[in-house]
Amino acid sequence: MDNTRIKKILYLFITAVFAGFIFAGSTCQAKQEFIVGFDAEFPPYGYMDENGDYTGFDLDLAEEVCKRNGWTLVRRPVKWDFKDSELETGAISCIWNGFTMNGRENEYTWSTPYVDNSQVVITRSNSGITALKDLSGKILAVQSDSSALAALEGESATDENKALAKSLKELQQVEDYNSAFMNLESGMVDAIAMDIGVAAYQLSSKGDEFIMLDERLSTEEYGIGFKLGNTELRDQVQVTLLEMLEDGTFGDIVKKWGLSDSACLSLSDTTYIDGGKVPMPGGTNLKNQDNANGKEDDSKEDENSQTGNIQSGAPKVKKLGVIKIIKQLLSGLASTAAIFIFTVLFSMPLGLVIAVARMSRFKIPQWIARIYISIMRGTPLMLQLFVVFFAPHYIFKIPTPPSYRFYAVIIGFSLNYAAYFAEIYRSGIQSIPQGQREAAQIMGYNRMQTFFRIIFPQMVKRVLPPVTNEVITLVKDTSLAFAISYAEMFTMAKQIAAAQTSLLPLFVAGVFYYVFNFIVAFLMERIEKRLDYYK
Amino acid sequence: MNVLEMDNIKKSFGSKVVLKDITLKVKKGEVVSIIGPSGSGKSTLLRCATFLEHIDNGEISYTGKKIVTSNAGSAVYPHKKELQQACSNFGLVFQNFNLFPHFSVMKNISDAPVVIQKRNKEEVYKEVRELLKKVGIEDKENAYPCELSGGQQQRVAIARALALKPKMLYFDEPTSALDPEITAEILRVLKSLAAEKMTMVIVTHEIDFARAVSDRVVFMDGGIIIEEGKPEDVIDNPGNERTKAFLKKLHI
Repeated sequence: MDNTRIKKILYLFITAVFAGFIFAGSTCQAKQEFIVGFDAEFPPYGYMDENGDYTGFDLDLAEEVCKRNGWTLVRRPVKWDFKDSELETGAISCIWNGFTMNGRENEYTWSTPYVDNSQVVITRSNSGITALKDLSGKILAVQSDSSALAALEGESATDENKALAKSLKELQQVEDYNSAFMNLESGMVDAIAMDIGVAAYQLSSKGDEFIMLDERLSTEEYGIGFKLGNTELRDQVQVTLLEMLEDGTFGDIVKKWGLSDSACLSLSDTTYIDGGKVPMPGGTNLKNQDNANGKEDDSKEDENSQTGNIQSGAPKVKKLGVIKIIKQLLSGLASTAAIFIFTVLFSMPLGLVIAVARMSRFKIPQWIARIYISIMRGTPLMLQLFVVFFAPHYIFKIPTPPSYRFYAVIIGFSLNYAAYFAEIYRSGIQSIPQGQREAAQIMGYNRMQTFFRIIFPQMVKRVLPPVTNEVITLVKDTSLAFAISYAEMFTMAKQIAAAQTSLLPLFVAGVFYYVFNFIVAFLMERIEKRLDYYK
Repeated sequence: MNVLEMDNIKKSFGSKVVLKDITLKVKKGEVVSIIGPSGSGKSTLLRCATFLEHIDNGEISYTGKKIVTSNAGSAVYPHKKELQQACSNFGLVFQNFNLFPHFSVMKNISDAPVVIQKRNKEEVYKEVRELLKKVGIEDKENAYPCELSGGQQQRVAIARALALKPKMLYFDEPTSALDPEITAEILRVLKSLAAEKMTMVIVTHEIDFARAVSDRVVFMDGGIIIEEGKPEDVIDNPGNERTKAFLKKLHI
């Protein structure tokens, strides 16, 4: 019969999917991994280039460090709000991403500073704002949990900056710099406070539209942040960096990214800020160090020199065509599809179990199901993902391998969606007339036979429309996976948008979602039609 | 031999007493109609006899075997397995048929014999075709219930009950959902079953139908049996005032 063939194919498919799922988690790790956590919307330090690869000044440095130590570099874009948890659980080895030390001195085990950075203010050329004092009564945007925010409102903020923050009409926190610039372009905010390196990159692509104020909100230093107490790894990276400084590799990378004005790695820093002694590479040669930082001349640079033409060296943004963007997003689409397929595969049967428990004659399973559904529907999915990902470490003290990230996404989504499916199934089961069960009972069907032969098939037909709704919502919800830094399509779109300083990738992502859902809706409709043979 | 024996059946829903004290015995090959006004408890009696409702007190036996016993004033039911076994004694044709909408006519009738009784599929299919012929819808084996008229669905329901080879059949208001002209056809089917000595208990409020088909008529009211006997006695010459009043109402 045709039916058995379909079943066979289905079994094969499910087996293959499970095999893939297990295999995905067990990729062998012959070499030690060095996992760099970074904000992929932070050019030129770390971002997505026009080929869809993560690149940037910091990642170039990290790559060289890994090469010299025989490590495998893993570039891990993280959700900036959760970077500390990522580091704490060991999901990343360090935060290396234009990471400001000032104000965070005691929160991480730091390398010595390698970039001098300032917080600057960008505004539209025609805004009439030419000095910090003009910002009074205006709306200023900053990235949440950024150094700019700390410089204005943090505990160590200067009195002038605090006063400036007070004089503002509003201090608007934004998710990332790309949306900050969109806010600025559209006039929703009047200015942005941000790191000078990032500002230079943005200005290089936007041209005359924006200006940078000459005044600085603060000057500060970038370092590499390791988990507090992880001095061993820190020292190893530090030594390698100093070696690179000595042989000129560091300087080359600095030049490549046009950061000669701000690079400040120095062999004369002999103590870390935590008071520890900096280990020196063998055969230290102190003579070359200024040149090593890629500086053009020997004169000691100070803050003033940074106010000049920073843009000059910044890399130019290469604009991508639609085709290129589509190509890059396709790889993200695979992640989105993986979340979707596995979630559907696991949550649908799990929902059935919960629905059955919910309708149980026994109080205990009934209440467990009730509470489960109540919690899963009553709290944000983003929070649930967060709990699933970090709970093993924080609550149960179990080390989690990097591959757990993907599992956590699937577990979180499946647990959440199972609750919704359970309620949909329950409504479907309860809508089937009692007479069906009674007829089955008298004819000698036992409970299981009644459920699987009589009730379940009828339920499937009844719940298809609400299930379709839920499945379509799931397609769009996959973008929440980035709450735990799993990069799916929408996250990639945001990263490309940041690197491109353009909205186009987001629109392309929107089209992808639409097409994806169109196919899903089409398939569900086909199934509905197939079940239309009875009423 | 009595196929069904119900002794001193008592049943209440909350504080409402539905069956006060009912004793009903049905002999093999007998056709019994239970009539009475709505709310008299006749449908509840049928649901108790088929174990869809549990009685509060009393005893129920099928073919001489005690299924539900009475102990210290309350009914004792056997384990699920045994109760399920007892269900194989009878078939029930529901008022609204309760056919499985997702199964074809063939599957509706053959599924239980094949899946529950584990009988040979080819054999069952052959039998089902004969049954369909008997009830007069041999051309509908591949149809789905939603494609059938009420009368046709009724016949499928009868065939479905018969396919399990029960010792007796219950009918719950077999004609209430049907047009009058179809009632005559169902009557024909029931009569042919009676001719084959099938034991049947029919709950109905259609007096003419009861008269035409049954060997014995039981008149129930207020949870007790008021009067019973041959149809010509109970229906045409009722002895009890309540029976008279009920019949009078029907013949306006």
